[in-house]
Amino acid sequence: MAKESNSSLLDVKGLSKFFGGIRALSHVSFSVERGAIMALIGPNGAGKSTFINVISGIYSPDLGEVHFKGEDIAGCPAHVVASKGIARTFQLEELFSSMTVLENAMSGCYSGTRSGMVACGTSFPSARLEEKRIREEAMESLAMVGLEERAFEPVSKLPLGERKLVGFARALCMKPTFLMLDEPAGGLAAHEVERVVKLINVLVEHGLTVLIVEHNMPFVMSLSARIVVLDAGIKIAEGTPEEVRNDEQVIRAYLGQEL
Amino acid sequence: MREKRRLPLSWILIVGGLTLLPLVTSGTYVIGVMCFVAIYATLACGMGLLLGQAGVFSLAHPPFFGLGAYVAGILAARGILTPWAAIIVAALVVAVVAYLIGAPLLRLRGYYLACATFGLLLIVEIALGQLSSITGGHDGLVGIPPLVVFGYTLEGDLHYYLLSWGLCLGCLWFFYNLMNSRVGRAIKALHDSEIAASTVGINVARCKLQVFVLTAIMAGLAGSIYCFYLQFTTPTLYGFSLLVELFTMVVIGGATTLYGPVLGSFVTIWLREAIHMYLKNILPVMTAEVDAVFFGVLIVAILIFTPGGLAGWLGGLAHFGRTLLGKRV
Repeated sequence: MAKESNSSLLDVKGLSKFFGGIRALSHVSFSVERGAIMALIGPNGAGKSTFINVISGIYSPDLGEVHFKGEDIAGCPAHVVASKGIARTFQLEELFSSMTVLENAMSGCYSGTRSGMVACGTSFPSARLEEKRIREEAMESLAMVGLEERAFEPVSKLPLGERKLVGFARALCMKPTFLMLDEPAGGLAAHEVERVVKLINVLVEHGLTVLIVEHNMPFVMSLSARIVVLDAGIKIAEGTPEEVRNDEQVIRAYLGQEL
Repeated sequence: MREKRRLPLSWILIVGGLTLLPLVTSGTYVIGVMCFVAIYATLACGMGLLLGQAGVFSLAHPPFFGLGAYVAGILAARGILTPWAAIIVAALVVAVVAYLIGAPLLRLRGYYLACATFGLLLIVEIALGQLSSITGGHDGLVGIPPLVVFGYTLEGDLHYYLLSWGLCLGCLWFFYNLMNSRVGRAIKALHDSEIAASTVGINVARCKLQVFVLTAIMAGLAGSIYCFYLQFTTPTLYGFSLLVELFTMVVIGGATTLYGPVLGSFVTIWLREAIHMYLKNILPVMTAEVDAVFFGVLIVAILIFTPGGLAGWLGGLAHFGRTLLGKRV
């Protein structure tokens, strides 16, 4: 058992989440290998976002186990999950709207920094030093997503596509080992999608593990090694893009609507 | 970078102005009023931080102010501790009380939190009035000795002017540093999106409790200085009317900036002084009612025309000025 959890970073077993009588997730099980790109697809209301919300600790699961690096994190509060190296973005950005682009990215450095209230309030040298480091790291993350020139603008003035990238930069500032992206290509212009694809590939080369929830099928097919398909909270298929594309159930549940 | 260069100038202007004030004014009237401005500004600043930046809708500032005043006053008046030690003990007591009350109450949000903290305000006001064997009841607490610092007795308005503005500017300095740090970003993050805040690793409950206790301590300190300044204190000073006054200051000044509530406190208190001075002759009986009507109308007007308060209006003006200058260059 121990060996199994060593090879995979995230192990989900029998995960269920109910909202009243609605089964948002029903006995979902799969593993994400270290350094892999995993995509979670499915029609609207399939439970994809719920899955990310459960893993990141915003919802606690009703049944099932979530093992991250061999440790059970099911039901941990979100800030604890974050401190273990799991970062995420949101479908609807969820940025800190009163802050600038840079401050949004800087707030991603929170879990990796330590200065307390008194040290910060008195501008203690250690806090100032840390603040400088946070600023540099945030600028690096912004440069990676191509937003360093907009760093000092209020985030609310940015168009939707760039706001998504700010969320991406904020997640990168957390220096995660596992990154969950909720519809990263939604609302992005073509050149921005290209940038995101490149960025994800670079990050994975550096050892990051990525889980993507997406509607944009060409985007998913161009990226992922493995795909999990959800429909009405149930996992109906898992495999390579080829396997999934030819799966009878998937065609019926998902692609079939368009044929 | 622009912010960093702009701030020292405004600090120099404010500190310089406050230092010059006692030299250019004669008599104690202006200095005396400015003591009140400083103490109320400290309170309003903490309240503005909670309401405007952290999004914690707490009305518990007057009770913490009152607790600070009464604990320090009682300890000093009964001769249990020297005044300075009493101030420190009062701050600690307020911190503990704020922690114990905040831990359960801060689970509530929005109006529910406002209701619960309003309950605290009423309880503390009534308790201070009824526990007359300890607090002196509605007759007030008397016999508070003057403050003594290293054998030097503080007396008169000028000494308290320096002390209260020292506290106010100290709090402002602390808040300014704080809001430009990781903790400050966490506080602002709470206001914008608690869900996103928790996913970047911010312990939302703990962060709220920390900022709640911090502002309570500052209110408590302001309270103890207030009671030594007046050398007398009564429960009605810390009740509903104080809350209304603080709200007026926060709204008029603007809660989204740190200096807004300070500005609000300055404007509110001096406007009231002006009303009392000039309307006394025209409306000899009705000053309190005139006060209420005047400030009521002012709050409505500010909310309609400049919802960010005076600070928001000044910020807009500064922005306009910068773009004008920028275009010329």
